[in-house]
Amino acid sequence: MPDTAPIRLLLVDDEPGLREPLAEYLSRQGFAVTQAASAAEARSILRDDAPDLVLLDIMMPGEDGLSLCRHLSEARAIPTILLTAKGEAMDRIIGLEIGADDYVVKPFEPRELVARIRSVLRRAAKGGGNGTAVEDELFEFEGWQLDPLKRRLTSPEGALVSISSVEFRLLMAFLEHPRQVLDRDRLLDMVQGREAHLFDRAVDNQVSRLRRKIEVDSRNPTMIQTVWGGGYMLAADVRRTKAPA
Amino acid sequence: MWPRSLQGQLLLGIALAVLLAQGISAALLWRAQVERREAALIHTAAIRIVTANREATEEQIERRRPGSRLLAAARQLRIERPDASPLRPGDAREHEAEEELAEILTNQGMEIASAVVVHRPLGDAPRLAGKLARQAALLGEHGRPQPDHLLVAAVELKAGGWLLVRVPVPKGDPAIMASFIGQTLLLFALLLGAIALIVGRITRPLAALTRRLERFAATRAVDGQMPPEGPDDIRRLIVAHNAMEGRIAALLDEKDVMLGAIGHDLKTPLTALRVRIESVEDETERAKMAATIEDIVRSLDDILSLARVGRPSDPREPTELSALVANIAEEFEDMGEPVSFAPSERIVVPLRTTWLRRALRNLVSNALRYGQTARITLTRENGFAVIRVEDDGPGIPDADLERMLEPFTRGDPSRNSVTGGAGLGLTLARAIAEQHGGSLRLANRQGAAGGVSGLIATLMLPLG
Repeated sequence: MPDTAPIRLLLVDDEPGLREPLAEYLSRQGFAVTQAASAAEARSILRDDAPDLVLLDIMMPGEDGLSLCRHLSEARAIPTILLTAKGEAMDRIIGLEIGADDYVVKPFEPRELVARIRSVLRRAAKGGGNGTAVEDELFEFEGWQLDPLKRRLTSPEGALVSISSVEFRLLMAFLEHPRQVLDRDRLLDMVQGREAHLFDRAVDNQVSRLRRKIEVDSRNPTMIQTVWGGGYMLAADVRRTKAPA
Repeated sequence: MWPRSLQGQLLLGIALAVLLAQGISAALLWRAQVERREAALIHTAAIRIVTANREATEEQIERRRPGSRLLAAARQLRIERPDASPLRPGDAREHEAEEELAEILTNQGMEIASAVVVHRPLGDAPRLAGKLARQAALLGEHGRPQPDHLLVAAVELKAGGWLLVRVPVPKGDPAIMASFIGQTLLLFALLLGAIALIVGRITRPLAALTRRLERFAATRAVDGQMPPEGPDDIRRLIVAHNAMEGRIAALLDEKDVMLGAIGHDLKTPLTALRVRIESVEDETERAKMAATIEDIVRSLDDILSLARVGRPSDPREPTELSALVANIAEEFEDMGEPVSFAPSERIVVPLRTTWLRRALRNLVSNALRYGQTARITLTRENGFAVIRVEDDGPGIPDADLERMLEPFTRGDPSRNSVTGGAGLGLTLARAIAEQHGGSLRLANRQGAAGGVSGLIATLMLPLG
């Protein structure tokens, strides 16, 4: 980003062996990086300064990353990406529920981290702020249920249906605009998430994958209909309910 | 028929032993009774003979006494004075009884030449039999027991002539046998009742301990330990078992903590390394380094997963398997890999999705690595959801098929350095299948020409 002021990052990690080379790498990528070795140090830096984004290690002695993350999301509204050593589903849920915008699993590819930083900042700039963590409500359509927070789609029979993150965002786009024709560009725009390489992926392909999972007969789709003249529409009533605590 | 439980075997064994002991003592008692009766009969006979002998000498003196004739007539019924031996051919002589009789009579001062004792049927003396029958009819049950046969005792007097008496032998008393059987049954009831109580005290905690062990083996949860109960030995067993359970649980916890620490402590420096190689100028060199790090990470993940697979922390949830398989196939498709998944019917199976994804990914990567392509099918067969991953590779020699599922084994060792990985992929996939109560099998696919045209990995998951 040559013309604008550099993006300011706060990197919080107790391991100097990782923190220092990562800070160095991110600086080379054009970010202005401040380092903190603990949550306490991060808090003291945050008192005087408001970085654009915080990179936060979860496992730290003393106050851990999750607690600091909650504070950042509630009190400061600073976008956060968690750095975690565990890749299990629980951590992901906890991470997103406590207000983190994204997470990477160690060992991550540095380039992927940069892509995610840009993606989170782009979403934050669009005014979404906390892009991933949606209000705690459930979407219900044709007996199906989607819990956006936990990214769980359940079929009318009550079975868990796996969908990829792109499919999830595509479905969210449809659910937020039921019975409206959404053209491919609009869908692409709404679906764009952390996957930077989505541009070269056809929306049609993603729609057909989603159909495969939720339509009774994916060759004769009834829920997600193709609209002549370029676009798709969710032909179902959507009900929003409060998620049980 | 033979009981399998401790209680059953003990009870049956003791019942048999008691039955045998009772049988022996019944036989002994019976014999003693018979002997006693025999002796009593001989005594009766002896007394009659002595009396008759004495009377014979007194008879002349007392002949004139009134009523004596009647008395004598009555005596005639039981006492005879034959001239010759009453023995008939075929008579079985009771030698012991004869000796005893002779001895008693000699002691009483009688001089006898010989004695004969035999058993005869009632019909041998019809008048006596008639009298006994009338007596029995008159007295009914209150009289002496019904005679069975007659004991005939005769002695040859040294003075010449024989004296013969008939003593009715009563029937064997059935009441004695009945009381004996009753006594045996009572003994049985008491003994077996007491033993059942004692053994129950032992086996009840044993059965509870067995249930507890089975549950612990299945869940490895320490909660719900048994309080020590029962006899001291069992009590000690329970205490020892509880201690061992605690130790095992502690070891497992320790293992989890250690694995967590390894995961964290290795992944952080690996991340640092991954960051540092970004400064390597040479593009190819950097790509190689990145690939190596990725291999290490993958192995580490496999090892950590394999160590944790037996102790999953997440519950199973009903999951649409077709969507999940499609998901995995699409992941590989997105990476440009030739993976296909034929559309299938919807099958809902209780799953731990994180684990099953891992198993499927491993099967598909394995197919791609050795067989260039992966074709996935999903079907419902006999209560199982069956996922098949087929490739077009060289397959595996039949002898090695089973070994391939063992840890750290891989086909084609020459390619190890290129493909990387610790060779845990299939082991982990099988462990995950087993974690779900299913199984994983490998088989060679026979081509049309007869040779092996690829490998089929079959993952079966129970539907219920």
